Amino acid sequence: MTALSEYNPIVIAIYFLSVAGLAMFIMNPVLLFVSFFGSLLVFYTLNRGKKDRSKGMFLLLFLLLGLLNPIFHHNGTTVLFVVNDNPITTEALAYGFTSATMVVSVIYWFRGFSTLMTSDKLLYVFGKISPKFSLMLSMALRYIPLFANKFRQIKAARKALGLYRQDNIPDTLKSNLKAFVALGGWSLENGIVTADSMEARGYGSGRRSFFSRYSFKKKDLIAVTVTLLPVLAVIGIKLSGSLDFVFYPEMSGKLLNKGALWAYACYTGLMMLPLISDAAEREKWKSLRSKI
Amino acid sequence: MEIFKVKDLNFTYATAKEPALKDISFEVNAGEFVTVCGATGSGKSTLLRLLKRELAPVGDVSGRILFEGRDLQGLTARESAGKIGFVMQNPEQQIVTDKVWHELAFGLENLGVESEVIRRRVAEMASYFGIESWFEKSVTELSGGQKQLLNLASVMVMQPEVLLLDEPTAQLDPIAAADFISTVSKLNRDTGLSVVITEHRLENVIPVSDRLLALDRGEVIAFGETRETVEKISENERVLYGMPAAVRLFAGLKASGNFKVSENFNATEKLKVNGTLKETWNPKETGNPKETGNCPLDVCEGRRFIEENFKNEVKSLPKTERIRDREKALEFKEVCFRYEKDLPDAVRSMSFEVRKGEIFCMLGGNGSGKTTTLSLAAGICKAWAGEIRIFGKKLKEYKAGTLYNECVAMLPQDVQTLFIADTVKEELKEVRFEPEMLPFDFKPLTDRHPYDLSGGEQQMLGLAKAIAARPKLLLLDEPTKGLDACAKKEFASVLRSLRDSGLTILLVTHDVEFAAAVADRCALVFRGEVTSEGESHEFFAGNNFYTTAINRMTRGFYDGILRVREAEEIIRLNGCDKE
Repeated sequence: MTALSEYNPIVIAIYFLSVAGLAMFIMNPVLLFVSFFGSLLVFYTLNRGKKDRSKGMFLLLFLLLGLLNPIFHHNGTTVLFVVNDNPITTEALAYGFTSATMVVSVIYWFRGFSTLMTSDKLLYVFGKISPKFSLMLSMALRYIPLFANKFRQIKAARKALGLYRQDNIPDTLKSNLKAFVALGGWSLENGIVTADSMEARGYGSGRRSFFSRYSFKKKDLIAVTVTLLPVLAVIGIKLSGSLDFVFYPEMSGKLLNKGALWAYACYTGLMMLPLISDAAEREKWKSLRSKI
Repeated sequence: MEIFKVKDLNFTYATAKEPALKDISFEVNAGEFVTVCGATGSGKSTLLRLLKRELAPVGDVSGRILFEGRDLQGLTARESAGKIGFVMQNPEQQIVTDKVWHELAFGLENLGVESEVIRRRVAEMASYFGIESWFEKSVTELSGGQKQLLNLASVMVMQPEVLLLDEPTAQLDPIAAADFISTVSKLNRDTGLSVVITEHRLENVIPVSDRLLALDRGEVIAFGETRETVEKISENERVLYGMPAAVRLFAGLKASGNFKVSENFNATEKLKVNGTLKETWNPKETGNPKETGNCPLDVCEGRRFIEENFKNEVKSLPKTERIRDREKALEFKEVCFRYEKDLPDAVRSMSFEVRKGEIFCMLGGNGSGKTTTLSLAAGICKAWAGEIRIFGKKLKEYKAGTLYNECVAMLPQDVQTLFIADTVKEELKEVRFEPEMLPFDFKPLTDRHPYDLSGGEQQMLGLAKAIAARPKLLLLDEPTKGLDACAKKEFASVLRSLRDSGLTILLVTHDVEFAAAVADRCALVFRGEVTSEGESHEFFAGNNFYTTAINRMTRGFYDGILRVREAEEIIRLNGCDKE
């Protein structure tokens, strides 16, 4: 899916924070169910054609979270069966799986988010909040691979002179420590060059400005509006109490009242936005090509 | 107009007694390309840094530095940062941010330039420098040459009036270095940008520079138009070493006395059309263009200089004895290696032999697999096919550690990776180095910090650490990177004396001149394979481009001349009068 990544990073951030935020703060089974499938749908469309190696881990997490709750919590009135004098209740089981759904769907929302948010985009969003922090992050992103690479070089260099031994654990530790000391010396000495280079290019000569390759266009404004309208609607309905659902001591609350149905519709629409914009773009291309 | 005017400048470092610069006076005109040359320790970097206020070293300064007629100290912080651009030696450490586009914008952000203006200037610079295709990349993905080009571009976006370059090509391979210098020269011609550059490797710079400032031990020994100045400084050996081969040959012949340049010869006059002399007009020169001297500067002029002045009745020098059929020290038999399963082979069925007691040089471009070959021989990387034998024994059969115990040692490309202590003394103690192991005196350096040494001294310290393990086979990776001509000469003579004491040396390098100076045998590596191999003279005689400047100058006229010394000798044998 390319349509979503073409928007301004702020749009992307607002979208994912809203869908995940709503899922996190509204403990409503139907809404979470929608969120769960929506998050999977969006994540797999974003990563079309790529292997998801960690899906087994998340399935395990889902089952674990769902099953652990009834084992440790014995609230609720409907007892299913008793294990070692501990009652396992329907309510606890339902609560467990609802919260598992919440956790896993939020994780998948953030996984989708991180697929779209490259470091450039993340820095842009942070830069809007604090340019200083953004520069610091950018430098950190530059230095981490640099140091990792240097550390590897130092180890190889010392090994080839017989100064890096791994015969036993104390030797390995000592050798690594020495390599680390060498890295420390190297980074301090060469950090001076970086500092010089920054100063030579006017760092600290006054107020800095902040440049990014992204600009906020009309289509971004439209996208933000279209995202925020259903979000505000869902929040409004939530505040009116129509989405309330209680698990203990007995599950109570009407899941299918009029307000709640509106909320589900809005939330589903929100989830579909990336897919709709993607499909719309594809149709546009098709029609353009057929005209040629 | 004068961009810089320096008058009676004296400078002493805060920690030193002797002044680093003495009574320096010179000026740089707008649009001029000025090269500052001199050996290590001549004060050329100090001088350049004094011209850039933010980088000026701490110490006692007297005299005046004027920038566009104003005192350098009187500029505002933003003027000083923006109008005077500075590029340093190390491509890696000058880069501040993680992405190419961000690095380009960094300077302008610091000056508080508005986003829209930054967008325009960054786009403009990226397309001028041909950076567009790697604009969105991470800086870690770039090659050394690209990194240095990025450093230049990210200074140029600030639209400086003058560009100061402190040995910008010292860490680059020859091809990237030539590219870099031609880019700087193009900037100078296209935009009228003034350039002040210091360099060790002068082959590329001398032909494009307008004026030359030669420093020795902190004093100006000559300043003026390039060709005239080159002739003036040819008596000073320390400065001469770094000069292009044509200049060294000219100076060498002049010093030996028995030679006279024919009166008709003028090195600048390239454009002889149909026998008539075309008037050469040189807009940059102030004086009379005809009286610019006759010292050749590049290969083209050098070639004409030799052909028009000397005879070639004796075509080649008597052959020296060769190394034949000695025992094998290192043997590669169809060795294959790749870094990752999905990547192509970095080394593809590589086969070669290194004989005991020789210096074997592997030459080749970037990414040809030279360094990987060395890592394979040192047991750092493991081959997936083929066989490596060291002194007749399979590499695999050397049990843990025994390979590095009095057998093989490798000196990495960046010797700084070996430094761990605060002083040279402790550094040598770590490996139990004995003074008689290396014909180099560490005594004056014992209390210095390893990082404070010059490039040549650092390389020597690295070599000492490698030699201390008493290896029989020494592997060197790019040992001349960042060294000046004097240091290279010294390093070469140390390597030769180590070889004479029985050590086998395998070195990989880009540096053709250095290989020609030390190697007994050479091999060319291309795409992970050895494509040609042979005794140095035969090897280089067979190459058209991958050979020394002097060989390219004499090719076809004389045979098998690789070094300036050899060229002098054969010219002397032939006599000089040519009618």
